Amino acid sequence: MTSGLFVRLFLRLAVACLASATTTLHSAEPGLDALLARLARPAPDTTSFVEVRYSSLLETPIVVSGRLEHRQDGSLVRRVDSPYREVTELRGESVSVEREGSKPRHFSLNRAPELRGMLASFSAILQGDREMLDRYFVVALQGTDARWEITLVPRDAKLKRRLARITVNGADDRPRCFILEEPDEDASLMVIGVERPDDLPQPLDQKALTAWCAADTMP
Amino acid sequence: MSRSRKALLLAAWLATVATLGWVVDRRLVVGMDLRLFMPSPRTPQERLILETVGEGPASRMLLLAISGADPEAVADTSRALADALRKTREFRMVANGETSFEAVPDSLLAYRYVLSPLLDNETIDADFLRGQLEERVRDLASPAAGLLEPWLPRDPTLELMTLVETWLPARQPQLLNDVWFDASGREALLIAETHAPGFDPQGQRVAADSLQRAFEAVRTDSSLRLEASGPGAFSVLMQERTQGEAQWFGGLATVGMVVLLLVAYRSVPVLLLGLLPLVSAGVAGLATVGVIFGTVHGITLAFGFTLIGVAQDYPMHLFSHQHRGLDPRANARALWPTLSTGVASTCVAYLAFLFSGVRGLAQLSVFTVAGLAVAGLTTRFLLPPLVPERGRDAAESAALGSLWRAIASLPRPRWLGIAAALMCIGVVWLSPRPLWENELGGLTPVPRPLIERDAALRHELGAPDIRHLLVIEGRDAQSVLASASALDPQLESFVTRGSLGGFNHPARYLPTTAVQERRRAALPAPDELRAALETALPATPFKPGVFEPFLADVDRARHLPALGPANVAGTPLEALVGGLLLERDGHWIGLVTLTGVQDPEGLAELARSTRNMALLDLKQASEDLVAHQRERILWCLAASAVLLVIVVFVALRDWSRVRRVLAPMALTTLVVLGMLHAAGVSFSLFHLIALVLAAGLGLDYALFFERAADDPSEQRRTLHAVIVCSLSTLMVFALLAFSTLPVLRAIGITVAAGVVSNFVLALLLTRPPEPSDDAR
Repeated sequence: MTSGLFVRLFLRLAVACLASATTTLHSAEPGLDALLARLARPAPDTTSFVEVRYSSLLETPIVVSGRLEHRQDGSLVRRVDSPYREVTELRGESVSVEREGSKPRHFSLNRAPELRGMLASFSAILQGDREMLDRYFVVALQGTDARWEITLVPRDAKLKRRLARITVNGADDRPRCFILEEPDEDASLMVIGVERPDDLPQPLDQKALTAWCAADTMP
Repeated sequence: MSRSRKALLLAAWLATVATLGWVVDRRLVVGMDLRLFMPSPRTPQERLILETVGEGPASRMLLLAISGADPEAVADTSRALADALRKTREFRMVANGETSFEAVPDSLLAYRYVLSPLLDNETIDADFLRGQLEERVRDLASPAAGLLEPWLPRDPTLELMTLVETWLPARQPQLLNDVWFDASGREALLIAETHAPGFDPQGQRVAADSLQRAFEAVRTDSSLRLEASGPGAFSVLMQERTQGEAQWFGGLATVGMVVLLLVAYRSVPVLLLGLLPLVSAGVAGLATVGVIFGTVHGITLAFGFTLIGVAQDYPMHLFSHQHRGLDPRANARALWPTLSTGVASTCVAYLAFLFSGVRGLAQLSVFTVAGLAVAGLTTRFLLPPLVPERGRDAAESAALGSLWRAIASLPRPRWLGIAAALMCIGVVWLSPRPLWENELGGLTPVPRPLIERDAALRHELGAPDIRHLLVIEGRDAQSVLASASALDPQLESFVTRGSLGGFNHPARYLPTTAVQERRRAALPAPDELRAALETALPATPFKPGVFEPFLADVDRARHLPALGPANVAGTPLEALVGGLLLERDGHWIGLVTLTGVQDPEGLAELARSTRNMALLDLKQASEDLVAHQRERILWCLAASAVLLVIVVFVALRDWSRVRRVLAPMALTTLVVLGMLHAAGVSFSLFHLIALVLAAGLGLDYALFFERAADDPSEQRRTLHAVIVCSLSTLMVFALLAFSTLPVLRAIGITVAAGVVSNFVLALLLTRPPEPSDDAR
């Protein structure tokens, strides 16, 4: 099992190296492919998260925690456990949000471009899909293998109106924070692999939290 | 007649026809509304049936299916097509399952609290607002945040979303990628309502073209396919196919006719002269219809020319009897008593349709009677001077002579005819199958597979049942809307019991003024609302002051006048309400469309117990209408049959001659009826027309055979004439019998069988028994 995974990772690395060697002229960061290859997680995969949402309508940010599930069929499930229960399923183009005590809501990614962008970055990183990243974003990589930061700026004008930038921070082969910044002050900050909001530095100030994501210290 | 006078006559004739033809071409409007061929309504209810058949929401509805690519591409095409169609003028409503707030104009936005049922059960107070705001906080933390956030300051209760959801059909297909899909998830489904009524093929044609253009413009993949179904799509299809086949068969028949006439008369001038009465008949018929009706229906045109094809026989009789030494004018004079009897009796038969109560048939009747009369008169008075005197004499043909002798020597047992007649009556009488086709749809027949496909799509989409409909009548729109909303509890109980899939009525979209006013009165005053909001807000993370637009909107709603049917124009409500709430001559009609009707009896009971309401069973009602109509036409035909006998008697003045002339035609009608019925054909109006046509031909044949009496030369000439006439007719209609269109096929088979039977029977039955036979 472990050896199988090792062989696969090795093969991916080899392919990625080969690919990056041949595309060095086009690729600004030859290290990105290698990083993506290391980050790839085969489905099914589950991880806990804490998400902090900032909105110009809100005085204090909203914090929810739960689990993210990447299923074998490629669909993504975002399960909120606290402070209330809510399940979001992203399957193909359609999104359904079911919250206890209210009617399920369905809509398509077509009407939520920022979500499509978010999903693209997520899936690309989970699957090590460089091509998908490049299709949606101008990609930049900073830092070292141990502490890295990928910045994604949307290419599409429609997406740009709803999403200014996605920043992914991580250490070694694990992504740690996904930060979505909208053109207004609104933003969403998702910390991966954390169980409880208390594990984040308090108070949940946006600047402080962003800095924490980029910092060297690991929770 | 001198050569120059002949030329002058020909020139004058041609000029008259050309001038009249030009005027007709310039002035006559060709209509395409198929309802002209449907029975004319007698009661308001029947009128409603016909209006619903052609104009109701169900008839205007096109069911669209997009397939051929992966679901994402299909869904994208569905969205793009819906957007494109909404921009065209031909469609008044397009639904594909998408809910879009952007579709609601600002003018309607302020009405959201008055249109939504929220205030019926809730009061907008601090408690309610706190609950709503808590939900909105959760919405902001959900992936739907980007979608909802822009609306929150104005609409924290998301009333607009509730409203847009109410406007969706009660029962929906599954949503994939935000749009409707069939159960298999391969086809995106859409509903598009045209402005043009379903039975207006021209309007539907324009809509179909516009649909195709829109699809071509938005399709991203050549493998994507668009399919349209529904009454409108069918009427376009049928029109195209009818025209296509009519042209194709018309062309073939013309070629065959030319060959036949050349073989029979071996003269090009004769061939061309023979066309003149027919052309004159067509132009005269059109002109008469134009003067009387103003417009002519496309079907009248198509069928009319088929029916006056009989006129082609008139010059043929003249030509076949022409021989050396005979002045064509004397020839025509000699033939005239027989010819005029034929023309008059055929005209009498077609007159029956003038009183049928169907506008299209009345047109057809006028066209045919005028045409045939003109053809008969031109053959008698204008044609003879132009016919070349010299010609081949059919009497000199040895082949015809021996044929005649062979026929004359055939045994003609009278009992066989009587037995055949009795057998045919027996077949029709004893058969368990109904003789008549009662469906209104039988008048615009659509191929089976298309109907099945339509039913499948309709089922997937949960589109309303075409058959059942509750109709509410009232003095004004408000009383109709009130009756409609009063039905809710009862219809809901039908739905809960499972005997009804769903229902829809205008009050769902447009509440009565009373309800609107009650809701408006329930809206809190500005101070009150502000106080409630300020009580609710601190318990939530929302900033103070973000909901100012909401306060302004509610205040605005408190001063708005009630929304009525007149002021929804230009909003999405117009299409939703317009099809279900109609004004007719000062009174109002509301339609309650039903889905998945399982218990029509229960619904009928409900309708009976409610004032001003009726359950329309369109199928039953239209069948009654067709049956009633047919009864009337049959009475007219019976009356004209009596008239026809009188005409023939006046001409022949001898009952035994009358009997001999009428026997072939009567027997043929019975034989064709029995044969077709035994073959499983249900008779429609078109069969009746065809039978009358066949009977008219049979009468002509019989009259001429009877006239030939015992003169061997005349017998051969008559045989020649009738063979040419019946062959040409048989050729045209045998071709039609191969049509893929049930209507054309019905006429083709009926007339072709009638011609053969009439020819044979006229030969056998019209000649008096020879004295030598008695002696033997």
